[in-house]
Amino acid sequence: MSIEIQGLHKRFGAFAALDDINLTIPAGQLVALLGPSGCGKTTLLRIIAGLETADRGNIFFDGEETSGRHVRDRQVGFVFQHYALFQHMTVFENIAFGLRVRPRASRPPEPRLRAKVEELLSLIQLESLAGRYPSQLSGGQRQRVALARALAVEPQVLLLDEPFGALDTKVRKELRRWLRRLHDELHVTSVFVTHDQEEALEVADQIVVMNCGRVEQIGTPEQVYDAPATPFVYQFLGHINLFHGRAHSGWVRLGGLRLRAPEYQDARHVPALAYVRPHDIDLLREPEDRDSTLTATVSRVSILGSLVRLELLQTPGGEIAEVEMTRERYAADPLKAGDLVFVKPRQLRVFLQQDAESTSPVHWGGHGDGI
Amino acid sequence: MTAPSRPAPAATVTEPPWVRGLLLAVALLFLLLFLVVPLAAVFYEAFRKGAGVYLAAITDPYALEAIRLTLFAAACAVPLNMLFGVVAAWAIAKFEFRGKSVLVTLIDLPFAVSPVIAGLLFVLLFGAQGWFGPWLKAQDIKVIFAVPGIVLATVFVTVPFVARELIPLMQAQGSEQEEAALVLGAGGWVTFWRITLPNIKWGLLYGVVLCTARALGEFGAVSVVSGHVRGLTNTLPLHVEILYNEYQFAAAFACASLLTLFALVILAIKTLIERRTARQRRPSSGETA
Repeated sequence: MSIEIQGLHKRFGAFAALDDINLTIPAGQLVALLGPSGCGKTTLLRIIAGLETADRGNIFFDGEETSGRHVRDRQVGFVFQHYALFQHMTVFENIAFGLRVRPRASRPPEPRLRAKVEELLSLIQLESLAGRYPSQLSGGQRQRVALARALAVEPQVLLLDEPFGALDTKVRKELRRWLRRLHDELHVTSVFVTHDQEEALEVADQIVVMNCGRVEQIGTPEQVYDAPATPFVYQFLGHINLFHGRAHSGWVRLGGLRLRAPEYQDARHVPALAYVRPHDIDLLREPEDRDSTLTATVSRVSILGSLVRLELLQTPGGEIAEVEMTRERYAADPLKAGDLVFVKPRQLRVFLQQDAESTSPVHWGGHGDGI
Repeated sequence: MTAPSRPAPAATVTEPPWVRGLLLAVALLFLLLFLVVPLAAVFYEAFRKGAGVYLAAITDPYALEAIRLTLFAAACAVPLNMLFGVVAAWAIAKFEFRGKSVLVTLIDLPFAVSPVIAGLLFVLLFGAQGWFGPWLKAQDIKVIFAVPGIVLATVFVTVPFVARELIPLMQAQGSEQEEAALVLGAGGWVTFWRITLPNIKWGLLYGVVLCTARALGEFGAVSVVSGHVRGLTNTLPLHVEILYNEYQFAAAFACASLLTLFALVILAIKTLIERRTARQRRPSSGETA
């Protein structure tokens, strides 16, 4: 089932939790709502479920307006952040609950119900724990039970609120791969809320980046990572280096760097910000030409598994920049703390500070070959 | 010979034995003087003139009538307050509304007000010279110096018990489980019976037990509205007082021993529930991560 959200607004007192949200979620996709805490993503999820009502705006399920439909008639599955399992019921009864409370006419007979629950138990690989109570399960097991309980009613839409938030790193990684596989099997339109960019990048088909109640960008993981639409998205996804400078008559000056920015032709000494990913920087031993490199000294080298991270101290501004490269590349020219280097961003992006919305990437120098 | 001994607790973390002994002795002496001795005295006095007198005292028609009335008042007050307690706790724990703190304070009012004053309130409202007195007289309804007044007074003084017990419990539980049930397609009624009630049942039972204890033993408020009509408006505590005032000490203590027995039974039930809830809460203590 596809979900279409049009002009959604929600306020809590003076606080605008959602501000004009427009969003289309195609049927069968797994979509992440990504953003910092308090950005409105959970509120949006709860409004889709019907647990909260919007002040304004519409939500369509398969083209059909939902606002008149009660939560229990929306056919959504909801997985709560803290699972909200029924403490006084066994795992089996938790999963069976949605089927047992159906009106008599559509309630499956006991043998069918048992078969259905057992099928779900094997799906979540907890057949042996059917008789346990939630308090006797680990966090990961509870999460899977919560998911099975939501799936038991065969929802048209599956909504998950920070599904892996309360789990430790290892279990979290396992579970999100499992969720991805499960989604590939079931193809239920799914929306999950997360503040963890890695989780969103790994699991989702589409990522909706949210901030302060607004949608910043919608796109595939590649799109939001490689071509962030706003400074916020740049900062929120992955590490960045930030350079301060000025834009003037089609040129941007950042410390010693001077580069063309034709789209800022009309700018007159406007403060500008440039974002560069740590792996989009080349370090040279010799200066290339006066305007395309910055001078810096290496202040620290850390080896992080397959990557090497170098901290640089820029000579003019004293700002610290981070550069990442592969072990191989580092081995070809092992820089040490104290070495003088010439910094050449392969790809950077300039935003004018007064007007963060007017965005346009500045590709410059060599071609980003990625690491 | 070196006897394997348990390592003595470090002197820095525990008090010397004589301090512990002294504290324990003080506590025990206090309990003995103020609880055990009076309790024993009640039963001693009750049986002093023999089992025959004891039995006669508690099978006396007036005594039986008093027992019946006491149980009746409790049987009215407890379900009413159970209902009110659940509804009030539900409203306070799960909704946000204006005047919520006022409601919480009002629920505590019967604890703060002296029972005698509570009784007087009802006399002022429903007595012959009270606000509703003439109207009630016209309808030929007697509230004060009659059974309805006793029930009203009992309900009033026992209002806080169930609600007080449930409010913090329901606030701590939040409404996520109810929301989960709702999303799974359960209606409000089904959600209450199958999710909310099982979650609060021990707290509810505990509140009911305390409420019952108070309803059976209430003296002050009931005394004001009762009028002490033997066989009609006398509850068991009032009956004890009348007997005592008539110098029928053995009979007074016999009836008092009945009340004491009620109290002991209730105490036993309360302890059982406490043990039960402690066991229920322990495994899920790490629940809210």
